Amino acid sequence: MNLKIADFFVGAFSGALVATVVSYISPPFMPMLLGGLIGMLLVIPMKIALMPLFGAFEVMIPLAIIGMTVGMGAGMLSFASVSSNIVIASGALTGLLVATIIYFSNKRYTTQ
Amino acid sequence: MSKQSYDGTARYFDYFATGDMRRWSPSQRALFKNLKGKVLYIGIGTGQEIVNFPEGLNITAADLSFEMLKRSNQRVENYPGKINRCQMDAEVTGFADNTFDTIVTVCVLCTVKQPVNCLQELKRVLKPDGQLVMFEHVLSKNPVYGLPLKMMSYITEYLQGTYLDRNTIANVERAGFKIHSHKNVYLDIVKALIARPA
Repeated sequence: MNLKIADFFVGAFSGALVATVVSYISPPFMPMLLGGLIGMLLVIPMKIALMPLFGAFEVMIPLAIIGMTVGMGAGMLSFASVSSNIVIASGALTGLLVATIIYFSNKRYTTQ
Repeated sequence: MSKQSYDGTARYFDYFATGDMRRWSPSQRALFKNLKGKVLYIGIGTGQEIVNFPEGLNITAADLSFEMLKRSNQRVENYPGKINRCQMDAEVTGFADNTFDTIVTVCVLCTVKQPVNCLQELKRVLKPDGQLVMFEHVLSKNPVYGLPLKMMSYITEYLQGTYLDRNTIANVERAGFKIHSHKNVYLDIVKALIARPA
């Protein structure tokens, strides 16, 4: 598979996975802070697992951003008793958005 | 990281670098077109980049780890040119002054303990009209990308002895080189650089 296309799948998948775990744990207090923390910790093993397949930096950078942002968002949403399906979908969408922003950012840097 | 630690890293080095090689091979091939004359390849590792070298070069390859050098056997044998390998510390090489026309490094300046000392040593063994060809990763100037690199640097230092927070361009200039060519390969993190003695 084209690695550039794979980046979008990795973004969406990791966003959905972080949202699923945070939604399942559903931090009972300080949901934004704890959600972000859980997300950041969760992406560390994911980075190590995905790096050999998709490249170190191409995995490390988006997953670091996705872990924190999706974790915070999912923590808040699950605290507000939003359906877990919506939390997971929003996580996947955020992951996809981060991957898209990095794609265009990379394009700008590499054509300078 | 010690020589023994690099020997240990050699066992899973190829596996962790698989994705990088798939990503970076086209950029490396374009950069390595600049290799000419007597070439010093610092940090050969398991020799993954050899397939991206132009044919027919006369290369002296050095690495700190014997285990890494051992694992490069097959790739060295398959290269259609000449590669002599030696076990050597990049910060204190045993070569005479002004020996090489080109020195090539791939993810070395992120790994050595004292990058400026290493670059000064490379400048010593490089001919005054020679060039230093580097394929390296550096700390991003963008804080959104820089912060994760700083955080991950603790883990990669432990796992692979690699630092993700190095300012290699400043180090190159501090060691007495002038950047001649500078190309971003991924964001402003992975770079293809050519420098010449100032």
